[in-house]
Amino acid sequence: MSYLDNKIPVIRELRHPETSLAHGDGHFRGLGGRGCAAVSSRADRSFTQGSICPLLPALGIMCSLPDTVVLLHGAVGCGTCASGNNANIRAGNAQRGTPGRDALWLSTALDELNVINGGNEKLAEAIAEADRAYKPKVILAVSGCLPGVIGDDIDSVAAQTQERVGARILPVHCEGFKSRFMATAYDVVYHALGRGLMPDPAEAPAKAPLTVNVMNVGSMGLADEKELSRLLGRLGLKTNFLPVFTDPESFKKAAAAALSISVCPTHDDYFLTHLKEKYGVPYIIRHMPVGVKNTGSWVVDVGRAMGLEDEAKKVVSEEEKELKSALGEFSPVLKGKTAFLSAGEYRSLATASLLKELGLRIVGIRSFHFDEFAEVEIKKLAKGKQDFVYNVANVQPFEEANILAGLKPDVFLGHWHGNSTAARLGIPAQVMYNSGHGYMGYAGAYDLARRLARRVGHPEFYRRLGRHGRLPYKASWYQSDPFSRIRRGGATK
Amino acid sequence: MSGLPYIERPRWSCALGGALAAAGNIPGVVPLLHAGPGCAGNFAWTNNGAAGLNVTGDCLALSVPSTNLQEAEIVFGGIGRLREEIGEAREIMEGGLFFILTGCLPEVIGDDVRGLVDDLSRTGGTGGTAGLVLAQTPGFKGDSFFGYNEVLKTLFEKVVVKTRTKNPALVNVWGVPPTLDPFWRGNLRGLKNALALLGLEANVFFGPGAGLDSVKKAGSAALNVVVSALYGTGAAERFQERHGTGFVRTNLPVGAGGTDRFLKIVGRALGIPARKISRVLDEAGRADYDNLEPLIDVYNDMEAQRHALIVGDLNYAPALSDFFSNDLGWVPELAVVTNDLEPGSQKAVLDHWRGTGGRVPERVLFEHRAGVIEEEALKIFGGTEAKYQNRPGPVFVAGSSLERSLAARLGASHLSLAYPVANRAVLTRGYTGYEGGLTLTEDVLDACIAGR
Repeated sequence: MSYLDNKIPVIRELRHPETSLAHGDGHFRGLGGRGCAAVSSRADRSFTQGSICPLLPALGIMCSLPDTVVLLHGAVGCGTCASGNNANIRAGNAQRGTPGRDALWLSTALDELNVINGGNEKLAEAIAEADRAYKPKVILAVSGCLPGVIGDDIDSVAAQTQERVGARILPVHCEGFKSRFMATAYDVVYHALGRGLMPDPAEAPAKAPLTVNVMNVGSMGLADEKELSRLLGRLGLKTNFLPVFTDPESFKKAAAAALSISVCPTHDDYFLTHLKEKYGVPYIIRHMPVGVKNTGSWVVDVGRAMGLEDEAKKVVSEEEKELKSALGEFSPVLKGKTAFLSAGEYRSLATASLLKELGLRIVGIRSFHFDEFAEVEIKKLAKGKQDFVYNVANVQPFEEANILAGLKPDVFLGHWHGNSTAARLGIPAQVMYNSGHGYMGYAGAYDLARRLARRVGHPEFYRRLGRHGRLPYKASWYQSDPFSRIRRGGATK
Repeated sequence: MSGLPYIERPRWSCALGGALAAAGNIPGVVPLLHAGPGCAGNFAWTNNGAAGLNVTGDCLALSVPSTNLQEAEIVFGGIGRLREEIGEAREIMEGGLFFILTGCLPEVIGDDVRGLVDDLSRTGGTGGTAGLVLAQTPGFKGDSFFGYNEVLKTLFEKVVVKTRTKNPALVNVWGVPPTLDPFWRGNLRGLKNALALLGLEANVFFGPGAGLDSVKKAGSAALNVVVSALYGTGAAERFQERHGTGFVRTNLPVGAGGTDRFLKIVGRALGIPARKISRVLDEAGRADYDNLEPLIDVYNDMEAQRHALIVGDLNYAPALSDFFSNDLGWVPELAVVTNDLEPGSQKAVLDHWRGTGGRVPERVLFEHRAGVIEEEALKIFGGTEAKYQNRPGPVFVAGSSLERSLAARLGASHLSLAYPVANRAVLTRGYTGYEGGLTLTEDVLDACIAGR
């Protein structure tokens, strides 16, 4: 049975019980042979800093959908992060030929009375009014924490309201307290879109034998899509990108594709298993096309699945040769520089592989979580001779500050809003993804190398910050073990 | 309130967001959230697109300690987790005061946070010398402005030191909520500079140069000045009950006209002789003229006079509208106040606007929905096919970033001034006081002549 047959999405804690949120030691290579067994899934922290719940990245995806109203069901602050997402949405729309278009998000702004009496009625009214006022194709009724605690039933409200409105209403479960893993964002969005926008198998469009579904992510922009399209285009294949910036009508095209491939293996199993089971579309979840070898493996995987393995290998070899000579000019600046990375599980590991290829030396990696999908990538990185720090942490800059103050790397690469600790320590920081730039494929490798060389070669801004930089920790904290607040066995209270 | 079942693209965040922005911008204070796992990240991402690129702070964004409540705590209660978090924070975080702020979850499940904080304050429970205070700020209780007021109330009750000795030259000033006013740092500086003209020291609590010590000494001020119709007025009443200090509510003074009125209100409340106030205003006016004078030729010949559409919160809409009409002689055709207010509060805003000497335009709308504002604006500025028509134009849109599509549709110049401000980088810039008016003149003209 597909996960999508359930009314409510199945959380990561149940689907992948090995997933961990807290781990830290100085021996990354020790993970190589043992994988998940080396990292405790029960571990947590006795001290935590604010984090990112699944709602935040989920909104990033949902707000990108054209002709869609995102209706946040919660208190008025829940989901105001859409103001931040909107900068990406506007940029993405401009790249795609519709400049100046803002995302459209609403909040039911639950108040004290709604908490006491329940918010179902208000949600139903909001859906009807939003349908009337904006006439969208889709209304996403998104539950924040509050409805999940007071017992609102967004699924029933959506079902009952559907007959009264023109838009398709899709309930989305984003109660932040239900899953510790940010990556759950992708599951809940896929759950809603998969259940609401995919056709009955009997009515699926005719097969498109040369089309490959490429699962994009909120953290990649059009530059990356164009590069992946270009590479698969060299094999004579067409690409169908989803779900980010995908018109609601276009989701059904995914059922007709010959293959699906993930670009971020931790994100997509939820939806791709569904596409396979229900529509017979096979899938690949193995590599992220960030890094030279990783990109080659990604392209060859597609080639093999499509009966084009030799052609794919030829493309890869040509591309690599061309890239290698182009990268030469950055080598004097980058070679031997030490780097520290911190971001989503797969992004940080794959980017570390790229940095090694560029001649940098990895001194530490932090992943927002750790699960079975990372084992492939861990093995690649553990092959080297040098060992380094590995920390599993959903941001938690207090651990990061402690580690960085000791390691003082030449450059830091971090998640969106995850770079200020390094910057305040005077370490040149480079954001590990930004939808306005390229990171993926060969073009992305070149572009990141170019920008990295610029950053490392001109670190003055960060040096200036570092001269007077302040972090909110006691001097004694830097003398403590950075991982002293991790409890391997979890809470005992 | 609008009576709508939703708020479109909220131009504020929740009580917790406003409280965090307030507590976290008092140097020396460590905010600590007892809340869901995404609340802190949510506010950081919000500010990314709304607060003039201002996100970090010593202990803001993702550095803020937070209990990150999970399902287990929802079922079994979160007090144990909070006690542990406070103890650990006291060992790891550097600060003079730990400010506990609650979000929706603990307030719905009934955690006795007040009991815990009282207990720890009394017994010194988890160690350390730093103080511990609490404001209960779940999102369902109110918006960011409510949260800002709650933080001030708590500070006035628990942190301000009681004293009978009053310093006649010290005034406390608030009503500019950090972050929710993206220009808050510059605006607080502008207020300080303006009050210094009367020989007064303004104690502003928030931002660089202020901090925990300035909060502690607030009890010795001669007067409290709230530069808002509604923000922080509840806290002013609490201050008066607790410390006996009176307060005046003023306009948010932007530019020469507004600042003249502001200084008169404050000076009068402090019993400063009218002749002295008049001399101060006269000198300030001359300096203002000296700065403005070089612009006369081009300003005049380029026909810079505009019809203005103003969209902002209850601080900005009146202040900008007054500035355009009094200082530039522009024509405010429509002022839109974007707060979601009950009819009584709407009236209070208008009464305050008039009562502080402002000029309320004929058309004022209380509305936050960009689409509805656009429809109203098109009625005024849209025009007809008639050959001769007195159609107001050229148009200048002074609003938030959400009015960009409206401005494009009207072919108008646009400047983001009120939250959310996505497309400007704000560091020291502020619009209050005489200098602020000159800065605003520069900025609106920059927007008009970008293609020159």
